[in-house]
Amino acid sequence: MRTRVLWLLLVLAVAGALVVALTGGDADDSSPAARAAAISAGVRCPTCAGQSVAESAAPAAEAVRAEIRRRVDAGQSREEIEAYLEGRYGSDILLTPPRRGVGALVWVVPLVVVATAGAGLWLALRRWSRRSLAHASEDDRSLVERAR
Amino acid sequence: MKRRRIAPWIAAGVALVLVFVVFVAATSKPAEERIAESPLVGRPAPAVAGEPVTDRSGTLAELRGKYVVVNFFATWCVPCREEHPELIRFAARGDAAVLQVVYGDRETKVRDFMEKHGGDWPVIADPTGSIALDWGVRGLPESYIVDPDGIVQAKIIGGATEAFIESVLRRLETGR
Repeated sequence: MRTRVLWLLLVLAVAGALVVALTGGDADDSSPAARAAAISAGVRCPTCAGQSVAESAAPAAEAVRAEIRRRVDAGQSREEIEAYLEGRYGSDILLTPPRRGVGALVWVVPLVVVATAGAGLWLALRRWSRRSLAHASEDDRSLVERAR
Repeated sequence: MKRRRIAPWIAAGVALVLVFVVFVAATSKPAEERIAESPLVGRPAPAVAGEPVTDRSGTLAELRGKYVVVNFFATWCVPCREEHPELIRFAARGDAAVLQVVYGDRETKVRDFMEKHGGDWPVIADPTGSIALDWGVRGLPESYIVDPDGIVQAKIIGGATEAFIESVLRRLETGR
């Protein structure tokens, strides 16, 4: 019973992680400045290596930050802003893969692998525990008797 | 004992890989002109309009009906300076118009540069970088070829030669 509850909790945790991965857990309902900063943190600086536009002081990063803020103020969603930038620079402008289309696989595949591995482990443990609980047959008993 | 015999082989393998990496780095050509992918290719060109830096004014919309090379440059960019005479030769052929956008540079410097080196085409200021952002510019120099219908047909990165731009233009015109 206790084992079943634990497994149920594990399944719920994996399902919850999947939901968060696909829908995003960002708090986008904060102030426009905070929303713009959060979006900027996920956008690669177009002219520098490995930095987000939030971190970089390059003129191109400044331009992207200003454009993000302008679009946030205009009421655009994170998805709309990211789609605009992808339409200009390509999908690699985003530091995190998009949660839609092929990019969603990056989020889903690891979770599916973990879930499959967990299910496999559960089956293996179940089989091993059944083996250990196997009862001695008549032949086993007669063998033990003869040995005595 | 066995480990002692394996160690020299591992060291030799690592040394071989290092020699290969150094060889590739030393013999590879520096960055040069090439066609690059862009999400803009096949789509309507973003607007290019703003304050002219020189006496020549103009916008991309005004050049509709002919091929246009939209070139992003700065005077501090060495490949841009090397590309400049190539652009002058290309423009002299009259096969396409040239429109330059200043990227991260002072207008006075650009004006001096154009006066000294020539280039009879509109040069547009982009002080906020918004034009470059609309075009997805990642480095300098970058050129985009826009067809007479206003559709972006190619993106060239690196300092382009007259011959290279001309060859890209020919391919586009013949539909290859």
